[in-house]
Amino acid sequence: MNPDVVAAIARLRTDNVLSGPQAALLNRVARRHLVSVRLEIRLLLYVGVLLLTFGVGVLVVEHQDAIGPLAIAGSLGLAALACLVWVARKAPPFSWREVESPNVAFDYILLLGLLLFASTLGYVEAQFTVLGPRWAHHLLIVGVVYFLAAYRWDSRMVLGLALTTLAAWRGVSLSLTGSLGMGHAGDLRGNAIVLGLVYIAFATLAVRLERKPHFEEVFGNAGLVLLLGALVSGVLDSSTWGVWGVALLAVAALVMWISFGLGRSLYFALGVLAAYIGVLRLLFRWSPVSLAFLVAALLGVGALALIFTAHRRMIER
Amino acid sequence: MRSESVAWERAAEVREAAEGWRRAQIIGTPAYEAIRQAYPDPCVTPSAIWRILTAVMVTAVTLCSLGALWLATRPGSTGLALLIVVLGVAAWMLTERLQASPRSARRGAAGTTAFWGSVFVLVGVGIFVNESLKIPSAQTMNTVLLASVLVWAASCWRWGSPVFAALSALSLFGLLGRLPLGRALWLLAGAALIGLFARRSDDLAWAPSHRRAAMVLLVVGVGAVYAALNVYSLDVRFVEGFVKFAPVRTEPPRWLFVVAAVATAVMPVTILAWALKSRRTVLLDTGIVLAALSLVTLRQYVHVAPLWIVLTASGAALIVLALAVERALRHSPDGERGGFTADALFTDDRRQQMLQTVPVVAAFTPAAHIPATEEKGFAGRGGAFGGGGASDKF
Repeated sequence: MNPDVVAAIARLRTDNVLSGPQAALLNRVARRHLVSVRLEIRLLLYVGVLLLTFGVGVLVVEHQDAIGPLAIAGSLGLAALACLVWVARKAPPFSWREVESPNVAFDYILLLGLLLFASTLGYVEAQFTVLGPRWAHHLLIVGVVYFLAAYRWDSRMVLGLALTTLAAWRGVSLSLTGSLGMGHAGDLRGNAIVLGLVYIAFATLAVRLERKPHFEEVFGNAGLVLLLGALVSGVLDSSTWGVWGVALLAVAALVMWISFGLGRSLYFALGVLAAYIGVLRLLFRWSPVSLAFLVAALLGVGALALIFTAHRRMIER
Repeated sequence: MRSESVAWERAAEVREAAEGWRRAQIIGTPAYEAIRQAYPDPCVTPSAIWRILTAVMVTAVTLCSLGALWLATRPGSTGLALLIVVLGVAAWMLTERLQASPRSARRGAAGTTAFWGSVFVLVGVGIFVNESLKIPSAQTMNTVLLASVLVWAASCWRWGSPVFAALSALSLFGLLGRLPLGRALWLLAGAALIGLFARRSDDLAWAPSHRRAAMVLLVVGVGAVYAALNVYSLDVRFVEGFVKFAPVRTEPPRWLFVVAAVATAVMPVTILAWALKSRRTVLLDTGIVLAALSLVTLRQYVHVAPLWIVLTASGAALIVLALAVERALRHSPDGERGGFTADALFTDDRRQQMLQTVPVVAAFTPAAHIPATEEKGFAGRGGAFGGGGASDKF
């Protein structure tokens, strides 16, 4: 129960701001006589998908000899197909605008179907080496299928997975637990920058052409994390860190400027953080440590002033 | 808390609720504007992104200031303890100033300075007791934990953050675990927290942030009671061994093991029943987590089936359960049953959908492959299995 809201509803009813039926409904919710369990249902679905896919993984690893590759691939494929058929039957017609999911489970069954499809493809590739030495391209196929599914069934969740899977295909780790990735750092940075720019271009086009404009946030955030992450990695690791530092500061400033104009808080925050990390690196490289700490603290105060000013201006506009 | 802060918080609660009512189209814009005028909130309240960004930068400024002062003075242990405590007190004073102004009270800076102020004071006390007074580490740990209980509790009382309440409670259980009969003390203190704070989250006399802190303490209390009663926790001497970092391996008596086994099974059901009766989602979530933990505990002692069957069946069961609950609620009269509904009501469903992208991407993104080698393999760095289980053991 929220007693402040309960008291407010009574007052607003007395003042005739709320009608009787309105007050009755709002009161029920504020007094916890009516409670939404939508979040809990989502949580159960998420954990269910997580456990099921882990279980399938364990089954394949521990029993592939006993069951046989064809049976495993067939079962996984059938399960994926069943999920995707269910999704296709329940899905509303395609639209370039935002489409509401028919029910709360829709996104998760879609996710389960796509994960099982990816598992099937990965397993088939591992067992039968269809792609030969270019085996890693199965990640490209998975990423593209996720991408198409995200557009067809209007799922930001699946689009996010598509973008990170495509990044994984190029060797770049975008999971929360990973580093930039495995492999040659220079190549990875190049891949991350190109992918980041491509994603940002998609974000721009999504809005300009009004083709799923609500996907802009997913494209934009993934693109900026890749682009700024690659530049920060260059500043922190590369022998040519000075060049990377200048590039990072220039790109971060551009990101802050554009996102300020567009009123995008998260993009602005990413720009500020990337620029601050870049400046810290330059500072600690060039100055005595005690002075560097002092200047870093002062720069932090400056960054706070910038943040407060930018926020105020964004609200005013 | 300052009376002005409490008044601002109460107004913010009503305005936030009104925002949800308007989003759900229960009220129109004129009613919404009337509510905003009736409940003026002078505070600037940026979105979570701005608050997090502010908190990160305040943290950077605080830690860099400490680093600069430490390097400039290079104090001994007593001097360092004094320096850190002085910085901590300065951070608290800054918090007071920030909290007093509606322009800065809710920007994320005040909570961060309060947090670092408390951390600094506790670290300073720890260094002083251990290094300057030469008190052994075990007693120092007890002193710091006791100080931690008091400092975080006082911070929560003064500035109202539920996080501080959680830190205070966790410190309390850390301290109790180090005492003789720690498990019994966990049980008693947990039950006391439940008894004291179960109804406080509905108490109009309490400020909204204090009510949220009460809810956190209720959950911590339930968690502590469960940890004290859980049969696996008893088996591995979790409470006795974890905090002292020196596991005591004594066999619990048979009757205690049986009691703990029964409690492990009964407690999640009790919490779920309480949640359904009181319609508190926080208890419902806690009950679900405890039920999951009890099932994992069961699997530890009773091997009902191979792991893959347990995982797959549990996953399928959860999906079926979620679908069944959703369907049952949808097909009930007015879309509700027993006071529960699957509708979003006044919460921001679009925002929830956006947020769910993060855990999904984190859990299911395949590991990156190594472009340079292009080596074939079904073992190794994950991703080789197409992200279908996000494990690197395929």
